[in-house]
Amino acid sequence: MLTIHNVTKHYDKTEALKDVSITIPGGTCYGLVGPNGAGKSTLIKMITSIIRDYEGKIEFNEKEITDKTKQKLGYVPQEIILEEDISAFSNLQMFGRLYNLKGNSLNHRIKEVLALIGLSDRGKDKVSTFSGGMKRRLNIGCALMHNPDLIIMDEPTVGIDPQSRKYIFKMIEDLKTAGKTVIYASHYMEEVEKLCDYVAFLDRGEMIENGAISELLQQYAIPSIYVKGSGILQDTLEQYGTVSQEDGAFILYTEKALEAMEHIISHCRENRLEVERLELVHPRLEDVFFRLTGSNLRD
Amino acid sequence: MKAIMFVELKKHLQDKGLAFWMLILPILFTVLFISVFTTGDNEAVNQEIIQSIVPGYIVMFVFFIMISMVQVFIKDRDRGMTARLASTPLKSYYYLLGKWLPFTYIVIIQIVVLFLFGKVVYNVSLGQPIILLILSLFITFTVTAIGLAMALTVNTENMGIAITQIIALGGAMLSGLWMPLEMMPDFMQTIAHFLPQYWAHQSFQDAMAGTTQVSELLQTLGVLFAIGAAAFIIAIIRYPYFLKRAVK
Repeated sequence: MLTIHNVTKHYDKTEALKDVSITIPGGTCYGLVGPNGAGKSTLIKMITSIIRDYEGKIEFNEKEITDKTKQKLGYVPQEIILEEDISAFSNLQMFGRLYNLKGNSLNHRIKEVLALIGLSDRGKDKVSTFSGGMKRRLNIGCALMHNPDLIIMDEPTVGIDPQSRKYIFKMIEDLKTAGKTVIYASHYMEEVEKLCDYVAFLDRGEMIENGAISELLQQYAIPSIYVKGSGILQDTLEQYGTVSQEDGAFILYTEKALEAMEHIISHCRENRLEVERLELVHPRLEDVFFRLTGSNLRD
Repeated sequence: MKAIMFVELKKHLQDKGLAFWMLILPILFTVLFISVFTTGDNEAVNQEIIQSIVPGYIVMFVFFIMISMVQVFIKDRDRGMTARLASTPLKSYYYLLGKWLPFTYIVIIQIVVLFLFGKVVYNVSLGQPIILLILSLFITFTVTAIGLAMALTVNTENMGIAITQIIALGGAMLSGLWMPLEMMPDFMQTIAHFLPQYWAHQSFQDAMAGTTQVSELLQTLGVLFAIGAAAFIIAIIRYPYFLKRAVK
């Protein structure tokens, strides 16, 4: 279990994080979500003790993060940080040695990790010859060399092809199955919703809300209805809830979604209006964020 | 520390650019200048010129390692490798040693190869090889310590390259590596006494001729060590600032 107690971090006069407290249960995948500049990367650098000068306390399994504790942590940075002029094998070897792996156990683990990240056949090739997706996978592999209990991933899928993204998702699912704790920072809300059990929303250095995703969806996401057709007026829909427009269609947010749908159908039949599309939209994490902050993540 | 050291050595040994700066270019310069300055018929004078040019260009070109040192540290800092390594159990001073030591090996290899080249091609005298080796170790320490101080101080690679050119080329000119010191004005001869290149060059020549005096050797080693130690202290003072910038 990772516990973050009231951490605050200043960069000169800017407050990057303000009194953030989170408890991350062991064996779960925990999403950190927020727009750019929200403080996700700062928080991650504090957890991995890259940043050490901050107020508050961070503990892993009730112990402060020390060099000994770091043996149990694996960090996947947002940028691809590898030695490009040497092979994938040599990169993994370097990270393995940093965690005191040696000899046969090191070589065995390198082979295991190469298989895990799908690069067994490219181990001897220079990293500079790899595609972006392959580098991303190796970036993750380096953090897994010492088989850590807690893996901290900072935007691990930025700028990669769908195939590699799928591969990374599978790796994370496997880590979860193996009982590892994963912290997953992203501003791809759908990824967090798909992979994580818990989420913390960060905005301008503050934690707005956190908890189990299913509970947050239930608590905050208002069901919505997607309505597209000719002659349907916004005024008509507004009597059932809040309406917004999206690509020529209306999104109606209402607590009584089914009742509202019935009324819309009746209204359209009575007035002979043509409905192109009418459907109940499943609440999304994006809606929770919108409800909490009043803005979309990518605004 | 070994993890970092092995990777650095592997990278350096594969780096063709480094091989060019450290070995090929000094060999080309040595051959070119020897062919220009030994056109006379007097064999003894020609051999004297060769005995000066070979160690002169060795001393001048060992300083070019500073360019690679600056590049390695600045790149690590800017692309996030320094920060990534801070998340591992590696202690910060092991990172520094792991990056620094491979450069010392490269410089020693460079000096040995260039002396062997001088011996094989121009039959230069290596009268006191043990003293040459001791001098090589001290100049290696001095050069890499200055390189380290610069790598941890400058903001950009370009700044580092510019300063290296000033130190390497300016120091070479003022120290009599390009032409005999006696041909230069008095004030320049005085300046030369404050430069490590001058001391290394003079002592290399003495050791090659087999005429090294113990007192002179100790004086040279003392000067080289003092300059190296001063640079190393600057590097140690700058290191926390470098790390702070690296993790931002």
